[in-house]
Amino acid sequence: MKLKTLFAFSLTLFAAAVWADSAPKPPVNVTAITMFLAFVVVTLGITYWAARRTKTTADFYAAGGGITGFQNGLAIAGDYMSAASFLGIAGLVYTSGFDGLIYAIGFLVGWPLVLLLIAEPLRNLGKYTFADVASFRLQQKPIRILAASGSLVTVIFYLIAQLVGAGKIIEYLFGLQYETAVIGVGILMTLYVTFGGMLATTWVQLIKAVLLLSGASLMAFLVLSQFGFSFETMFSESVKAHAKGTAIMAPLAQKPDAISAISAISLGMALMFGTAGLPHILMRFFTVRDAVQARRSVFYATGFIGYFYILTFIIGFGAIVLLINNPNYFAADGKLLGGTNMAAIHLSHALGGDVLLGFISAVAFATILAVVSGLTLAGSSAISHDLYATLVLKGVRDEKKEMRASRLATICLGVIAVLLGIVFENQNVAFMVGLAFCVAASANFPILLLSMYWRKLTTRGAVLGGSLGLLTALVLVVLGPTVWVDVFHHEKAIFPFKNPAIFSVTIAFIGIWLFSILDKSVNAKAEEAAFDAQFVRSQTGIGVSAAAEH
Amino acid sequence: MSHLEQISALPEYIALTRARKKIVWPLSIAVIAAYFALILTIAFYPASLGSPVANGVTSVGIALGLGIILYCMVITGIYVAYANGVIEPLTRVIAQKAGALK
Repeated sequence: MKLKTLFAFSLTLFAAAVWADSAPKPPVNVTAITMFLAFVVVTLGITYWAARRTKTTADFYAAGGGITGFQNGLAIAGDYMSAASFLGIAGLVYTSGFDGLIYAIGFLVGWPLVLLLIAEPLRNLGKYTFADVASFRLQQKPIRILAASGSLVTVIFYLIAQLVGAGKIIEYLFGLQYETAVIGVGILMTLYVTFGGMLATTWVQLIKAVLLLSGASLMAFLVLSQFGFSFETMFSESVKAHAKGTAIMAPLAQKPDAISAISAISLGMALMFGTAGLPHILMRFFTVRDAVQARRSVFYATGFIGYFYILTFIIGFGAIVLLINNPNYFAADGKLLGGTNMAAIHLSHALGGDVLLGFISAVAFATILAVVSGLTLAGSSAISHDLYATLVLKGVRDEKKEMRASRLATICLGVIAVLLGIVFENQNVAFMVGLAFCVAASANFPILLLSMYWRKLTTRGAVLGGSLGLLTALVLVVLGPTVWVDVFHHEKAIFPFKNPAIFSVTIAFIGIWLFSILDKSVNAKAEEAAFDAQFVRSQTGIGVSAAAEH
Repeated sequence: MSHLEQISALPEYIALTRARKKIVWPLSIAVIAAYFALILTIAFYPASLGSPVANGVTSVGIALGLGIILYCMVITGIYVAYANGVIEPLTRVIAQKAGALK
């Protein structure tokens, strides 16, 4: 069978890439290698099982709609809790205490909004992607092109950030060369998505979420046990150990200027509204049966994610106390080995020796693989379901062709992501996650929200306002300090703020509003008239099952 | 009247949209307000977050920060409880009546 041959071929390629790697190896951690291999074998087994159940586009995009609310909640948490947030936030808490907590909060506060405003109507109106909802009563072609562009930009930036991070972590933990690590991750994610579609991706997320939550729980438990389970004792020991002393219990910038104040507010907006515009998260709501399960999904997801951030916070403080006075974890120049992102990894060694280090390293690796798979699936769905099916097939349904397109899109995305991951190896890519959230907040979120709640939204308004939001976000990030100064090495940024969301989100909303109310076309009238029927369906779910069959 | 117009005229449907409005907007504003209150305090009055809660080291900022994480979980809990108790029964009646209207 063709499928089988391709599968075996990619696996051989993967094995060969790892084999041929001649990087100098650090001492091999047996637990890490065993667990990592076990994870790869189990997930490939699941992919093989899922591949035989992935026959239609409904299977590929939405796992046939048969995921339960609890499973989906865990899978959403799996999609959202990236290695970047696990290692990154623990590292931020380790270096600056309270400021790390701010990031954790920002990543969580979007979730109640997803539950209250987005999840149920999204499930009631859509089928596979959020573009289904945005284009429900508007013109298919322009809205889908815009929504797919917003999705793809978000996915690509997010993917580059994750892949570069992955390459660095694997290079450090397993002693593989950077390129080998990125290619290996790229091949595995492409395999999961191409063959197993949403079903395999969901199960990869579930396993990863359980591993990550149990690993982080164990670490937090071990940390707290050192302090008699008292936060107060943990904080007072941390303040004693940390060079900045009690300053880590409050914002480090005690006299912020206007620019950093506005940047902070702007980042807050990007994180809060961006969460509700992430295509790989929105897509998850179509894997459950109905709005009730969608609601349940977010409830569980918020619980898991909030719990996880509390754990990372504890881990960060544990790292302050247990690492800072231990020279084993520092290089000769006084820096933490592998950079501050490695704080959680070193802490696992300090707490449980090589065994726990191996376990947490393998968990970090599983986390990376799961997140990039979810992103790749969202990207390929935008290409095949929103662009190919609407523009090339012109809305005439052709299961076979659309399936082929989605698999081809997955492979192309995998190749592009790996190439970009290699190109960006030595760039600081931390800003890319911020940029992904900013684009999601400035383009995807306003279009989606207003299409569901604002009667007077028209195609022209959505397209012009949404594009303005998208372009403003991109242009201002390039002209801002993170790209203009840090990447292009100019002396001074043209746009002074690190995060443009406060401007780009506002511009998107004003643009959509203005161009909608100025739109006096016949289309605009018809689109307004179609709102009532759409609203009834979004609120009650009546008409949903009928739509899913056709 | 079309089927959907008939549904939107049902008393249960009107009750449903009212019930949703009553819970969704206040809770959304409660989350947005709490978060931006914290962000604005960080931006303009950072010193106030450094003062200790009791006589110890734990600061107001840390307590508020962890508090907001729990607050988000509580908000989702309140909404789900309300949705199960009030919104779901209405939706079920509407679905039944909509089936009969066809």
